[in-house]
Amino acid sequence: MSLEKLKPWFPWFTLLVLIVLVGLVNPAFFNPAGMVSLVADIVPLFIMALGMTFAIYIGGIDLSMQQVANLVTVMATVYLAQFGIFVAVICVAAGFGIGALSGWITTRQFVPSFVATLAMGFIALSGARFLSGERALSMNTAAREASFGWMFGNTAGVPHELVIAGVLLALAWFLQTRTTFGRALKAVGSGELAAVASGLKVDRIKILAFALSGTFAAIAGLMFSVKLSGGDANLANGFLILAIVAVLVGGTPLTGGVGGVMNTLVGTLIVVVIRSAMVYLEVDATMQQMIFGIILIAAIAMTIDRSKMRIVK
Amino acid sequence: MENIFLGFEKQFVRWGVIDWKAMAEAAKRQLAKVKLDIDPAMVTSKLSFAQRQLVELAKVLTLEERIDGDLVILLDEPTSVLAREEVELLFQLMRELTSRASFIFVSHRMDEVLELSDRVYVMKDGEVVDVVAHDEAQIDAIQHKMVGRDVDKEYYREQKQKPYDPSRILVRLDRVSAAGKYSGMSFDLHAGEVLCLVGTEGSGREAILRTIFGLERPTAGSVEVKGQPYGRANAQEAVARGVGYVPRERKVEGIVNGMNVYENMTLSQMGNYATAGVLRIGQEKALAEEWVERLSIKTPDVYKDCGGLSGGNQQKVVLAKWRSGGSDIILLDHPTRGLDIGAKEDVYDMVRELSDAGAGIVLVADTLEEAIGLSHTILVMKDGEFQKRFDGSPGDKPSLYDLVHHMI
Repeated sequence: MSLEKLKPWFPWFTLLVLIVLVGLVNPAFFNPAGMVSLVADIVPLFIMALGMTFAIYIGGIDLSMQQVANLVTVMATVYLAQFGIFVAVICVAAGFGIGALSGWITTRQFVPSFVATLAMGFIALSGARFLSGERALSMNTAAREASFGWMFGNTAGVPHELVIAGVLLALAWFLQTRTTFGRALKAVGSGELAAVASGLKVDRIKILAFALSGTFAAIAGLMFSVKLSGGDANLANGFLILAIVAVLVGGTPLTGGVGGVMNTLVGTLIVVVIRSAMVYLEVDATMQQMIFGIILIAAIAMTIDRSKMRIVK
Repeated sequence: MENIFLGFEKQFVRWGVIDWKAMAEAAKRQLAKVKLDIDPAMVTSKLSFAQRQLVELAKVLTLEERIDGDLVILLDEPTSVLAREEVELLFQLMRELTSRASFIFVSHRMDEVLELSDRVYVMKDGEVVDVVAHDEAQIDAIQHKMVGRDVDKEYYREQKQKPYDPSRILVRLDRVSAAGKYSGMSFDLHAGEVLCLVGTEGSGREAILRTIFGLERPTAGSVEVKGQPYGRANAQEAVARGVGYVPRERKVEGIVNGMNVYENMTLSQMGNYATAGVLRIGQEKALAEEWVERLSIKTPDVYKDCGGLSGGNQQKVVLAKWRSGGSDIILLDHPTRGLDIGAKEDVYDMVRELSDAGAGIVLVADTLEEAIGLSHTILVMKDGEFQKRFDGSPGDKPSLYDLVHHMI
């Protein structure tokens, strides 16, 4: 086996090594119940990372996801009593719309996606602040139980969050590997000029990719808000960097075209293991962000395809 | 002025601050050398192309003062955007400077070369084929040298060339222009015809291909494909009407590096292999296997990343993409660039097969021999304008010299 062939498996090895290391230091880590709850805990993060995968897969990035999720926590909390379960539709539509708008700004106004989505993120943040009146809101407990009670709980020992995550992963994976849209995403990510010269509607594909990342951000926000039974313009803060780290550590480089949603699954698990290790080793909470910042830089430096990048600004 | 002194601002720096006035003064002196009377503070993007060229020249001429001793100045097609008088001015400056500077001058305009140079190196296919002194240089002789050897008729499958069907027009260009690229191009492409655009680099040939494929919007004139004019032309519409494009940058625009053989082959026609957006991957693979067999594409299997195939096999994948999708107007931009001889011959065979099958082909060839050998019709272009049309039925082909004569 050549190194080239081993490369796609690299994230899996990393995950395995990390688990073994953490397990050696802290044997309690292998407790199945603890593991399940650990994983179930990060489902909203995983969903956000799934969405981020689409943006990064085409060679862009979506920095608005955290703020979209914030906005959605507020929207869900405010409108739950009024619309019941249909608040989900409103939330998802908002995420789709914001993402599509970012995509439109990127492709039609030629604003690089990191700026376009950063700006859209601030717009979403303003929306969240306005809607919440800058207060932390709580959900109506009865309405929450009636509409979204099914999201949490266990069936035969499997937390429902995990089922939701599994379904979304399967959907995203199907989209990526089995549909014309997924194929087009890959073509745009690995060879946009060739995609243009093959007559693909590249702009539309990119806009849809950002709309998808927005949609996933909204779903993540909705779950988070139901889980914490409330909404706040700062609720999802700290998710963005973890989502980006998860995607990149999983093996989808910033240049796009390779990797995909399965890699993001691995990447998210790596993030979880690192985080739980830090908790066990009593790393100060303020240090954790710094460590993920360092991991992010290292992951980009290691995965980037330098032959594709001539100029970096 | 910032352009002229870019990287050499030090001479104007006092206490770490640039003395803009002094720089403007100096810039004015440099601009006066090229007889350009503009405000040194003007941003160059507001200047005309010719003026920009003169600014570049003024920048080069700062060498005069900055460096003692002999200079070597390289000029790559410096006259292509200049008007007659400006060219004269440039030449005059060059002659004045020859006392202390040597020039290497690259041009496609023969008259300029002869007027200016002491020695002419004639190059062809990356090799120097002749060196002539100024006094012995003759346009005819040099052009013959550039052309080189006689053509082997077999090589270009000339015996397989069949007349095209003049009653079926596939593409019609009517006085089409694209600003800065080419102007006033009109021609018809017929079923079964191989039409070749010939000219030097930058004569606008590639831009015409991109116009037909909808990637370059014309600024004037109309493009009709199969009797229907393009509305807001785009590549999707072109593909839908059966236009296929084999770009020059094979690795960047031709194939998607990182996608495998069948993914590349169906990229332009995914709709044919999908139900409600869900791909029928089994059918894609079957198609790819069929074409790998038909064009004898050398690949271990259809899962192989196209970026890892050899140039010739990549080109075959690109051609298979369009042919399997039923495209009958094929635009070939340097289809044999960088291929070895065997792979080139495969491409020639494919061109013949395609034209037999009634497809219309617009070709921008890698060499003139190729252009003559393959085409029914040759249109010679120079500096974005149509020069002359040649008919090339087998046995009655124009000579290389005929073409070169109109190209430069």
